[in-house]
This record gives sequence, structure tokens and C-alpha cells, in this order.
Amino acid sequence: MALPAFIGRRPTGAYRRLNPATKLVIAFATAAIAFAVREWTGPVTMLAVVLVTAGIARLGRPIVKFALATIPLVISILLVNTFLFPGATDVLARVGPFTATGTGLAAALQATLRVVAFALSVAVFSLTTPTDDLLSDLERRGLGRRTIFIIGSAIGTIPRMLERAREITDSQRARGLDTEGSVWRRIRGVVPLAGPMISGALSEVEERSMALEARGFSASARRTTLRTLPDSQTQLVARWLILVATATLIVASLTGLVHLP
Amino acid sequence: MSLRLTDVGYRYAGTTVPVLTGVSLEVRRGQVVGLVGPNDAGKSTLCLVAAGLAPGSIGGSLEGSVLLDGRETRELRPHEAAQRCGILFQNPATQLSGTAPTVYEEIAFGPRNLGLSVAEIVGRVDGAVATLGIRGLVERDPHRLSGGESQLVALASVMAMRPAVLVLDEPTSQLDPAGTALVGRALARLATETSVAILIVEHKTDLLNGLADDIVVLDGGRVVAAGGASSLLAGDVLPAHGVRRPAAVSIRRALEAAGLGGRLTGGDGDILAGLAE
Amino acid sequence: MNGDEAVRCEGLGFVYPDGTRALQAIDLRIEAGTRVAVIGQNGSGKSTLVRQFNGLLRPTEGEVWVQGRPAGRRHVAELAREVGLAFQNPDRQIFAGRVRTEVAFGPHNLGLAGPALAAAVDSAMAAVGLAAAADTNPYDLGFSRRKLLALASVIAMATPILVLDEPTTGQDARGIARMREVIDTLFGQGRTVIAISHDMAFVADTFERVIVMGAGRVLLDGTPAEVFAEKAWPTLRSTYLEPPLAARVGARLGVGSTPTEAALIEALDGAR
Repeated sequence: MALPAFIGRRPTGAYRRLNPATKLVIAFATAAIAFAVREWTGPVTMLAVVLVTAGIARLGRPIVKFALATIPLVISILLVNTFLFPGATDVLARVGPFTATGTGLAAALQATLRVVAFALSVAVFSLTTPTDDLLSDLERRGLGRRTIFIIGSAIGTIPRMLERAREITDSQRARGLDTEGSVWRRIRGVVPLAGPMISGALSEVEERSMALEARGFSASARRTTLRTLPDSQTQLVARWLILVATATLIVASLTGLVHLP
Repeated sequence: MSLRLTDVGYRYAGTTVPVLTGVSLEVRRGQVVGLVGPNDAGKSTLCLVAAGLAPGSIGGSLEGSVLLDGRETRELRPHEAAQRCGILFQNPATQLSGTAPTVYEEIAFGPRNLGLSVAEIVGRVDGAVATLGIRGLVERDPHRLSGGESQLVALASVMAMRPAVLVLDEPTSQLDPAGTALVGRALARLATETSVAILIVEHKTDLLNGLADDIVVLDGGRVVAAGGASSLLAGDVLPAHGVRRPAAVSIRRALEAAGLGGRLTGGDGDILAGLAE
Repeated sequence: MNGDEAVRCEGLGFVYPDGTRALQAIDLRIEAGTRVAVIGQNGSGKSTLVRQFNGLLRPTEGEVWVQGRPAGRRHVAELAREVGLAFQNPDRQIFAGRVRTEVAFGPHNLGLAGPALAAAVDSAMAAVGLAAAADTNPYDLGFSRRKLLALASVIAMATPILVLDEPTTGQDARGIARMREVIDTLFGQGRTVIAISHDMAFVADTFERVIVMGAGRVLLDGTPAEVFAEKAWPTLRSTYLEPPLAARVGARLGVGSTPTEAALIEALDGAR
């Protein structure tokens, strides 16, 4: 007897086809270099790398949405750094009591690039790697079942928690709790919302853990793998090379051994 | 026998009042026993005790003997108890592992935890799917099922552990009539096609009428009546302990009391029996 | 009872933000002081419909009037003075350490205080049979009684219209009997009671009007005798409902539509 075909379904597409661990390493490397390597080279090249991988994986529209989502953070970084950079003297303009400096602006742009590169590398990873694929692969490599379960179910818990929060809020609103009025009234509303939320979450956790025990979750045997995602020697070597290169680059930059523009 | 409780008493951790006292009951292989009683009689607690989850997972103190397929539950580790006794709760959502992308993998969750071979897992999943008649659901996302479908998947997941005993705590309580009918039919199949011993707690005695061989009535943590289903469901014990009679029984009694009992037997036999599914 | 309307919907439609249509072209008029049951399979729109009555959801098409005035964009907190909604799961609502405090929450939000508040709370607790448990922790009551507590919390708000979402789910026989008594009491006070239920026998015994929903529309609307009559069965089955056993027996015996045991006996007596 064999596993049905849909279990073995592999993701298709140039970038998506890669093993989850490879994609994870790439995401980690680009994010780390974007953040840790000093000056412009790090963030600029990593942003380029991320945009190229997004292109290969055909992630045009979703990536734009992610980028747009970073706008509020970007704006605050720009404002804070441009106007409030300590010790800068090359004034560009004055706006009221605030002074925009060239140094500040440069720092702001650099910080923006770092944040955007970081966010987009995370985005590319999560858009090209279904959670279950990642977890299956990590599990096959030996990551403990509890860790896998915690990660996997935490993600699933969020929609349920939101749903429960909504229902609790609706119940209390139906009893006259004002959530559309003044701020003070809304603050006073926290207790009737928090109480059922917490006790509901706790009792659900208890019921879930009993259901898990009933499915043999605490057995000591090595959990059988049903899905294997393809990996290759090339990818294995590439992952190590990337990790080593990343570590080297970051250390070199931070200790000043290498100066990059 | 597959499940035998003898003189069982149980107290939750940190409490002084026992929730169960002197409870004895037995469910044999291939038998269905219905457990009824008012709310807070201790029925849910009894389910946890029977499955070995109490005191095993939740603590508390247990007196008396709980034998699952010949072994005392207090001597079994949780996953060993799980292989002897499966348990199904009311709320379908909390019973899904939440990490499986398809129903097939959800059902495979338990056998995978036991480290069984792929061939064995496939056999168990296929078996559970066939018994419960849910082949059409195997590729579906477990989060997008109706209440009734979720309960069937939860039931299949439990059956994939090949337990000797199955305990169900108000499995249809949260379901609409369609879901209730779905689960009712699945349980009837389990009862006829497998030899699993089934203990089912239900308020909907209509479901038990025709499914259960024996009925046990629990009130205030004690067994107040036990016996064959047909006589208990028809008698006066149930209403005396806050349990509704099945609609068919209630109608029959009402008509007989009004002197109209004869109208129930027609040319093709007993009408109520004919209307029962 | 006096010809006033409690709730009216005209052309009511609702589409969830994710695009699912839950209600379609609902035209409905519920008279003040009546007991109405809303039945149908899960997903037929019952919960969505009743949440339009207290503003938790707003129509995407059409309009809703509560007590003759448009519900419009009135805040939920304001509509809560007219329409009380008791939810299916009491544990999604109960937060206080004592029954009395829990029951007082609603009326307090509506501005009651002092003796008026105490009176509202006492009378609501008495109506559901929890007066003796006034100082108990809600979680020391069992599930059935917590459901009654949730109901009392809404009764205490003295709204002219009450909506009960699945009042008998998870209840034992005594709980169901108590629910029926409470609904009759509220009816006797002239209040409008609207309930969503899966329990056909309870519906037939307790309500004088039944609205059957399927796929977001009203499929049937009438007395229990009309809605459970044999000619309505195909419609009921289309929304995965079965008529109560008494109705099926009556149909087999050819004595007309008998949705309840009492109706069956009366019909058979009459046909003797």
C-alpha cells in the first residue's frame, strides 16, 4: 500500500523548488547581512538579491504589498533620523524647531534600506515555503516533535484566538459595553474582555493537550516521516558556503577588517 | 471485557469533594453502552477516568480499579492508554492537531507519533477512512470542514490508533441536525463493523435508541441505574434523573396513556419502529 | 401583542468582508410580544440575521428597523437597550467572580444604579432560578446553569426584545424545561423572544412562529403546524432539517399536521 499522490506533491517553480532549509538559509543570510554589515554595500546588495529572488519566484504583487506594509515604519525611521541625528552639522533645511541634516538623511536612507531588505527577505521566504513543508523538513532533520508542534500550532492558533476575541467582544458589546465611544470607556472595557479570553485560552489549551496525549504525542518513538522534500548535494554545499560567507562578511565588517562603501 | 470500572472514586486535584463515588460499569468488545444523567453528574469526568487521562494527564486522586483491555490505567503511560482507549470530545476544533494540511495527514498524526512504518500508517489511515466512509474528505483542509465533518475526521484520527475502547463525550452537542445525523450514522457503522467497545455520553437519547445495548444512569457522581437500553429508555428512571426520553418512547407512552396506543400498529407493523432510521 | 412591530427587515442582504454571501433579500416583520424561532442548518444565515438586530453586523443591502426606528448606524451599545442577545457559549461572556456581579454588568452599562440596579438583578436571577446562587462563583456552577446565568445577564437589561442563540444546546432535560419556563415568563411580560435552535421538538413546543432559513434566504415562515406540515418537508430537507417525530407520526396516520405530542393526541382524539 502506498501513500496517496497528493501527499508527495512537491512545490513547483524555480525558487520554490528548493529545499526549505536552503530557502531558510538564504533568507537568514540576506537578512543578517542587510542588518549587520556596515555602510551601504550590505543593505543595497541584499535588497538587490531579495528582489532578484522575488523575481525568479514570480512574487511581484505579494511582494509589493509587503513593501507597502513597511511604509509606516519607514516614514518614522526617515523622520527620526533626518531631523534628530545627534551631532550632525551639515544642515539641509529647517522645519520649525527641527533641523534636517545631510548626515541624518544618509543614515535614515541606510536604515530604511536595511529594514526593507530584512522585511522582504522574510516575506520571500514565507511566500515560497508552506509552513508544513518547513516543519516536515526540520522534523526529518531531527528537530524535536514538541518544537515542531509549538511552531506549527502557534501559527494555527492565531486565527482561532482572533475569532474567540471577536466573539467575546461581541458578547460584551451586546451587553452595552461601549467600544465605539470614548477612549476612557474603552479602557474600562478591558476586564470584561480579558477575563473570558484568558480563561477560554487556558481551558482550550488543557483540552488540546489532552487530545494530543490521546493521539500518542508523548510516545518516545521517532516520529515517522511521510513527506520528504527533495534536497541535493549541491544545495547542501551551497548552504554551508552561504553560512560561512555570511559569518565571515559580518565579522569582517564589524571588526573593521574590511571597509566597504 | 474491554473496559471495566470497579468501585471507582475520583477527586480533581486540589479539591475535597469527590466527583465520582463507587462507580462500577463494564463495556465489552463490540458493545455500545450509553451514559446518561443530568449535567454535572460527573459524566465527563468518568470519560476522562475511563480513558486514563484522569489521573494520568490531569492529576487528581483515583480510587478503585479502571481496567483497559486488562491493564490498570494508573500503570499505563499516556500514549499506552491512548492505544487502548480513544476519546472524542464535544468541540471538534480542539481535537484537530492543527498542523496537518490535509485530512489524510491529520488522521496519520497519531500513528506517526508512534513511529510506525509508512506501510502500517497507510493501512491504518485507509482502514479508518473506509470504516467511517470519509474517502471524499481525505484531501480537504481540516480547518475548512463543517462541524459534523470535523467530528468524523476526529473520530477517524482516534480509530487510527486502533483502540479497543472508544469513549465519546457528547460528540453531537455542538452540531446541527445534519452533523448529528452524520455522526450517528458513523457510530452505527463502527458498532456493526468493528468490535470496538463504545461508551457514549449523550443528552440526545434519540441517538442512543437503537445504537446502545445498555444504558448507565449517572447522577451526583453515582450510578443510579443500569440495564438494557430498551427497558431503561422506556421506563421512568430517565425523567427522574433529568434525562429526556427518546421522542419515540415519549410519543408511545403519551398515546398509550390517552388510550390511543392501538393507533400505532397498522397494516405494516409498528409505525414508530418504521419511522426509526 | 398590540400590533407594534419589534423588528423589520426590507431587502436585507449581507456579504462578509471575504466575499461570502450570508443573507439574501430578506423581508421580515416580527410583531412585538411574539415568540419566534429561527431554524436551519449551520451556515444558513441564522446567526448573521440576528446580529443585524443589535448592530453587531450592518446590512450590506437593504435596511433593518428596530421598534419602528431604523437601526442605521446606531451604536451597538445603544441598540443594546432595545435588543438583548444571549450568546450560545456562556464562557465567552462570563468574567465576574460572582453571579450577582455578572448579572449586574449589562444593566450597569445601561446606566442603572443603586436600588433600581439591585431590583433588576434580583428579578433576573429569580427568573432563571439562580437567586440562591447569587454569591457563587460562576465557574462553580455547572455548564447548564452558566447558560442560565448568561441568559439572566441579558434579562436584567429589561430589553423589550430578546434574542437567544441556541438556548438548549448542551442542556439537560431540567435545563431545557427551565428555558421553556423563562421564555413563557418573558412572553407573559410582553417581551418579544427570538431564538435560534436546532431542537425541533423544543421549537414546536415553545414558539408560535417558525422561520426556516437556507442558504441565506427565508424558505418558510409560519406556525409550527404550517412549517412542519408534510408539504413543507422537501423544503425542510433542503436545509438538512427533519420535522419532529410527532409531525411524522401524524402524517403517517393521516391526521393532519401535528408538530407536537399534544397536537398529535388531540388530532387522534378528534378522529376517534
